[in-house]
Amino acid sequence: MVNKSTTNGVSDPNLENKRTKVTLTNSGVENARGTYYSGAYTSVGYDNSFNLNRFKENFKINILSESANELVFEMIGIDAPIANALRRIMISEIPTMAIEKVYIINNTSILQDEVLAHRLGMIPIKVDPRKFNFKLPNKEYTAEDTLIFQLKVKCEKDSVTGKIINETALSKHLIWVPTQDQEEMFPNEEDRPRPMEDDIPIMKLRPGQVIDIQCYCEKNIGREHIKWSPVCTASYRLQPVISVDKSIKGDKANQLLEKCPKKVFDIEDSGQVVAARPLDCTMCRECIRDPEFEQNVKIERVRDHFIFSIESTGALKSREIFQEAIKIFIEKCNIVEESINKLVN
Amino acid sequence: MPCLYICGECGAEHEIKPKEPVKCKDCTHRIMYKKRTDKMIQFEAR
Repeated sequence: MVNKSTTNGVSDPNLENKRTKVTLTNSGVENARGTYYSGAYTSVGYDNSFNLNRFKENFKINILSESANELVFEMIGIDAPIANALRRIMISEIPTMAIEKVYIINNTSILQDEVLAHRLGMIPIKVDPRKFNFKLPNKEYTAEDTLIFQLKVKCEKDSVTGKIINETALSKHLIWVPTQDQEEMFPNEEDRPRPMEDDIPIMKLRPGQVIDIQCYCEKNIGREHIKWSPVCTASYRLQPVISVDKSIKGDKANQLLEKCPKKVFDIEDSGQVVAARPLDCTMCRECIRDPEFEQNVKIERVRDHFIFSIESTGALKSREIFQEAIKIFIEKCNIVEESINKLVN
Repeated sequence: MPCLYICGECGAEHEIKPKEPVKCKDCTHRIMYKKRTDKMIQFEAR
């Protein structure tokens, strides 16, 4: 077959639209599934087969915004299954540390022991999980796989001022108890294990009530239990493309502006309506619900343009989470490759 | 080992032997609670 492939895609605009975009209509989503067959566009002179060089040329990652806990970036030129695999790995396969065993010595509060234990498990612990090993089942705790926190709170009335002390047991009351040479593992003060936030309420206490608890943290992954997930959530969406045709002017233009709850559209000086803020579009389809506008407004998504948003719980930075996800993904691919090689040989 | 119970009304601790009426010896309140164990209890944080 003669390779006539270009990066420009198929020359027929209708066909090109079907190839690269997902269309949103009143009746539902069209062309949601991409065409993966290598010879699908051979008759119009486009080679649809996968080509590593072409992939390298087209693939792009741009960071849109980055804050302490949240990272938003776009990933262009990749298939949905791979983007989804990365998302799933970020949620459920990156290890972190979380409280797993809770030893309750005393609890005179009104919160039941098992509820309290469950609550403690959910507190995000700020410590680099890469410094620890996975705990082996039926093995003793060691300094390399376990962190110990102590929660010892007594609520009482101050005899002088009459104020109630420790009315709420907060996550800052969880004190790290270093075992063996664990202190040397964290030479910097800010790297030391502690709860991510200091003001997470654990329980309310009344004067005279005490809690005395030892918590053992273990390393594990989100697939075992969501408390080990390093992300609040990791999600992606497709890049929206909204186009309005030239026939909408004057009154109709103002009507269209009114319809959009997210104020995506703007009127240019020439009177033409444009989608000025397509990223704000929530796919509500309010603008095309009226049959009058259905033909004139087109809502589309670019099939291979993903906008990822990763919100970290704090143990790892958002960008580290993505880097770790890629490492795990590569490992998984290696396993597949090895097993295929074994079959072939 | 004697089994201690806490009165639901006045909070006093009393020992109740088998076949004895379940009753606080101080205030005659009839609801008595069993004391929590002083042993450590292990839970899974799930």
